[in-house]
Amino acid sequence: MSDAAKHLPRLTAAVVPLLVLCALPFYLESYWLRIGLFSMAAAIGAIGLSLLSGTAGQLSMGHAFFLAVGAYGYVWFSGDPGPGLPPVVAMVLAVLLAGAAGGLFSPVAGRVKGMYLGIATLALVFIGHHLMLTLDGVTGGFNGRSVEPMEIGGLVLDSGRDDLVVLGVPFGAEERLWYFGLVLLAFTWFTARGLLRGRPGRALAALRDSETAASVMGVPVARHRSSAFVVSSMYAGLAGVLIALSFRRVVPDHFGLVLSIDYLAMIVIGGLGSVGGAVAGAFFVTALPLVMAKYADQLPLVAAPGSPDGSLGPTEASRYLYGAAIVVILLWAPDGLHGLARRLRSRLRSRLRREPPAPPHGPGPAEPVTPAPTTTAPSVPVKEHTP
Amino acid sequence: MNTGTTATRAAEAPEPLEVDRVTVRFAGLTALDDVSFTVAPGSVHAVIGPNGAGKSTCFNVLSGLHRPASGTVRYGRQRLTGLAPHRIAALGIARTFQNIVTTEGTVGDNLMLGRHALTRAGFVSSALHLPHAVREQRAHLARAREIAELVGLERHFDAPVAMLSYGDRKRVEMARALCLEPRVLLLDEPVAGMNTAERAEAVEVIRTVRAQLPLSIVLVEHDMGLVMRLADEVTVLDFGRRIAHGTPDEVRRDPEVLRAYLGTGAGGTGPATPGPGTPGPATPGKEAA
Repeated sequence: MSDAAKHLPRLTAAVVPLLVLCALPFYLESYWLRIGLFSMAAAIGAIGLSLLSGTAGQLSMGHAFFLAVGAYGYVWFSGDPGPGLPPVVAMVLAVLLAGAAGGLFSPVAGRVKGMYLGIATLALVFIGHHLMLTLDGVTGGFNGRSVEPMEIGGLVLDSGRDDLVVLGVPFGAEERLWYFGLVLLAFTWFTARGLLRGRPGRALAALRDSETAASVMGVPVARHRSSAFVVSSMYAGLAGVLIALSFRRVVPDHFGLVLSIDYLAMIVIGGLGSVGGAVAGAFFVTALPLVMAKYADQLPLVAAPGSPDGSLGPTEASRYLYGAAIVVILLWAPDGLHGLARRLRSRLRSRLRREPPAPPHGPGPAEPVTPAPTTTAPSVPVKEHTP
Repeated sequence: MNTGTTATRAAEAPEPLEVDRVTVRFAGLTALDDVSFTVAPGSVHAVIGPNGAGKSTCFNVLSGLHRPASGTVRYGRQRLTGLAPHRIAALGIARTFQNIVTTEGTVGDNLMLGRHALTRAGFVSSALHLPHAVREQRAHLARAREIAELVGLERHFDAPVAMLSYGDRKRVEMARALCLEPRVLLLDEPVAGMNTAERAEAVEVIRTVRAQLPLSIVLVEHDMGLVMRLADEVTVLDFGRRIAHGTPDEVRRDPEVLRAYLGTGAGGTGPATPGPGTPGPATPGKEAA
């Protein structure tokens, strides 16, 4: 009884949100699916940054650069000015390219720590932006380049050429990419968990908490710092590929310093050093402004877009709300969404223990909290806003 | 199942650790001045001295954190001076810290960190959950549990370190060092800040470790009672110089040692304070008097 009973809740917590996520394309319009896709891409990148900043304690402001390397790498490897490789191969090469870019920076990343690395990586964003604008032949300059759709086993993840209908629902670009994004996110989740719970994760956490102690325990400091940087760059590269695929066009201005800061916001809001937290933070930072922009015109005191100066437009209103939400989260849950979920869970568990007679239904007010352990947190915003 | 890695090192008996004429200078201050001593295999060797005598510097040289200006440290035939700390750890030389340095996470996580040098799983094999990485983790976790049991931490194995008492956290440090399957264990003030009961337990743990594992122990400690009870040999430092050396009994009677601890002209009377932070029951002054 013990083994099956112990694993059952955990298994449900993993399988149920996965089933919900798989079912979403049958119910959601493409607008929402696109928000979901952007969030998945952000989640992959945020997991990478969380590994570097949350676990290894190394600040990076250069995440946007590695996202750009991934996105442009994919576009070039698969596109016309470029070798025009099959998209899957181009994706793998783009990820490796981002890793190599991280590796080139590793003499710095291995030696410089914490805050100082953050400043050093600032340079990457500006160099990257400059290169994107000037290397016309590769990047398409200021106007960027359009992105070749992903193709897997003859199935093109794009609308148009064939009319795919699944269970009566027409499957366009967003629906197809959705599953591709899910697979990439699941892969990222799986690998990052393995890293964090395994030998490298322990070594990186030790480095963050005390470099001296870690080295005396047998951890080679510089090598682990650079490895963390390379791995984080590779996740950023993968995220870049998914960003390129879901935007269908890459432009230099997307990959600015603001994007780097958005990713830092994601991992802080989500809770440093946790995979589930990074995903939740990514959805929060990516989806919330878009969702708010969609509904801002229904708020009181908000004027229609294009109204005369001085009135509060929906874009501004959504920004205010988004900012307020960040402040509220950081005040109430300084350890992020991950910490909030953990505290709710332990409170729930202790309450269940105190009232053993009614475990399946539990006390009333705690009920809505039940499906919100870290694993399911990302699916919540998507579900709530179903039109 | 876990015998593979543990047996290889445990089978090797410890070799002598030789500190040979080591001098360390920090910007004009000579922290260690021509210090030599040898830790005999399997013995407990204490390094004592008043505050600022250079005991911690000595430990930092042994574990590779400081490079001496001159002199060498050898473990058997292997020269340690000039090696990076993680290489010295890989040779089986583990240490604890005076102020506890643990990593966030459970006791188990910390102990598994101690096995870093004995394990192989890298970034790729851990990320992909490759079978050998999973197997390795399982085997070493089993051994970490055994070590937790040895020091009396088995109840707390899955508890976050931050929730433990001071004494238990000190134990985590020692267990983590033991997880390296060390041949030389460097203990930096293992009972500092503990109450009497905790001290007694700590001494018991050190005795158990010594009885059950083939290792030499180097001990830095202010608590003279503990040093006298545990040590086979004692080296006394003062202002970076070695002023005495010998068995606990010899050292206790050494006039130089008395002078260093009690000041010049001290006759062993008065409120003897052998060193700040030392509420130890037995001071050399009192015992010699």
